[in-house]
Amino acid sequence: MAVNALGPYDFPSADRQENFGDDMLVHVLWANNMMFCSAACFRAPRAMPWEDFKAQLMDPWAASDPDYEPSAPKGWALDGKPFNPEPGQSLAELGVVHKGLITFEA
Amino acid sequence: MAKLSMKERYSLLTRDLDWTPTYVDPKDVYPYTRYEGIKIHDWDAWEDPFRLTIDSYCKYQAEKDKKLYAVIDGFAQGQGHLSVADARYFNSLKLFLQGVTPLEYAAHRHFAYLARHLDGPGARFAALCQSIDELRHCQTEIHTLSQFNKYYGGFHDWSRMHDRVWYLSVPKSFFDDGISAGPFEFLTAISFSFEYFLTNLLFVPFMSGASFNGDLATMTFGFSAQSDESRHMTLGLEVIKFMLEQDEGNVPIIQDWIDKWFWRGYRLLGLVAGMMDYMLPKKVMSWKEAFELYLEEQMLNGLFPDLEFYGVRPPRHVEQAIIEKEYVSHQVYWILYQFSFAAAFNTTVPTDEELDWLSASYPETFDRYYRPLWEKARRIQDGGGRFFFQGLPQLCQTCQIPMGFTEPGNPAEIAQRHSEYKGERFNFCSDGCQWIFDREPEKYVQAWLPVHQIYQGNCGGATVPEVLDWYGIEQGSDNLEYLTSPDKASWDEWHAPAALPGGGK
Repeated sequence: MAVNALGPYDFPSADRQENFGDDMLVHVLWANNMMFCSAACFRAPRAMPWEDFKAQLMDPWAASDPDYEPSAPKGWALDGKPFNPEPGQSLAELGVVHKGLITFEA
Repeated sequence: MAKLSMKERYSLLTRDLDWTPTYVDPKDVYPYTRYEGIKIHDWDAWEDPFRLTIDSYCKYQAEKDKKLYAVIDGFAQGQGHLSVADARYFNSLKLFLQGVTPLEYAAHRHFAYLARHLDGPGARFAALCQSIDELRHCQTEIHTLSQFNKYYGGFHDWSRMHDRVWYLSVPKSFFDDGISAGPFEFLTAISFSFEYFLTNLLFVPFMSGASFNGDLATMTFGFSAQSDESRHMTLGLEVIKFMLEQDEGNVPIIQDWIDKWFWRGYRLLGLVAGMMDYMLPKKVMSWKEAFELYLEEQMLNGLFPDLEFYGVRPPRHVEQAIIEKEYVSHQVYWILYQFSFAAAFNTTVPTDEELDWLSASYPETFDRYYRPLWEKARRIQDGGGRFFFQGLPQLCQTCQIPMGFTEPGNPAEIAQRHSEYKGERFNFCSDGCQWIFDREPEKYVQAWLPVHQIYQGNCGGATVPEVLDWYGIEQGSDNLEYLTSPDKASWDEWHAPAALPGGGK
């Protein structure tokens, strides 16, 4: 179904990849911890290695919960499918898409 | 000269002012009432249940204004703000002023547009009256609440905040969605779904909340608006019946709009649910009770059996809203609590009495899922900290609320939905929001999502203080924890027992 309109109706997406240059938006959800009301949203370079993404963006956020241990996350999943990120792999190599979702348990 | 009957006056002052254009095609005079697919064969079949004329309307409204302003003045001069239940109560008013008052103004503008662009004079006049009502509500709300700005944070810059702040993009985008639709969809969205179907769930928490918490000024505003609101409710029902009766082909179109606008309105009211259960020091009733009374009993059991006659069924996804009544208010306030570093109101851990009230009101869910969270938040606070989500949340593309809602029936599992449109991924909090996106993706891809806009650099800068400056939030007074807020400090000072002369006890 399409928008009902008087004239042509075609506008670009406000958050299309190109608006973020070489970066993209990545969501991270701590799945079994209700302290966090929702997943977090980060802006990260597509070429960012996994270890940097985790240490520089994810860990400081997860540490909002004083019980967080950076070594604790396990059961990683990318958009619902289990995956095992290697420290040196970039987000793009891992198959993370713009506005995609990474989940973990701890 | 003989006095005209009410019927004759109505006829002369509304219907009789209309004429049929002869040298311009009526389709060019009213260009917006055909493209949505709604067919109206006879605009004269529009019944105005109130037979209002402009002179009686103005006279009646002026009398109500006079009474209201007398109360507001008396309340302000008598330092009425000091006699409310607790300064914490004002947080609900901040949310109202920032979130609802600008919607009244937006409604005023759009009903003025309808007062020009509907083909029938009866419908145009009804829209004109509602347009003036909405402007009056916007003004009287501003006047009623402006007295608190002198003493408490968060009451300034509400209009700017409405355009910029993350939780206010929820009501703003809701209304923008309605305004940018055609006139018949707008009427279904606002007059029917919002003003009729959901209105009690918005007004009762705020206005009864005012009454229960000793805020005579806001309560009187509520009474002053109430007769207008009941007129709007009647109009909402009249609008929907009129459209349904005009052409059978209208039914599926309207059903689709009812489905969409129920879920849009219901998600928006999540903010009210959180307010009702957590921000009122003296509780009116729980969100769950209000939902059961106003939505399940009055609407689903009262209204919808009547609408069945026209072939209209209850809104899609309403069964999920019913399941959510057990926990939606806790989810929303938990979001507000952990993001109140970026909000223009204060939040705090509920008191012991409140926690017990919540347990009793939500026996199935509160102790199992939410009390442990509040106890942990309190432990963090007792240790000198304050639990905040130190980052930005994932937002729903449709309702724009941080994605804190869960799989229906399981409060422990955050719901994740996504759709792809033209190769791009979009995320949603629920089946309802995903369904709304999927039927008009071209519209919702344009959404101004506050988190994504911050990351694009469009909100004043890359740091939290820069963004808060751009929002117009005064840091350290408008935002953060209630217990350490200037509002609380002033309140305690104003209510400290006066020192007795001579240092005596």
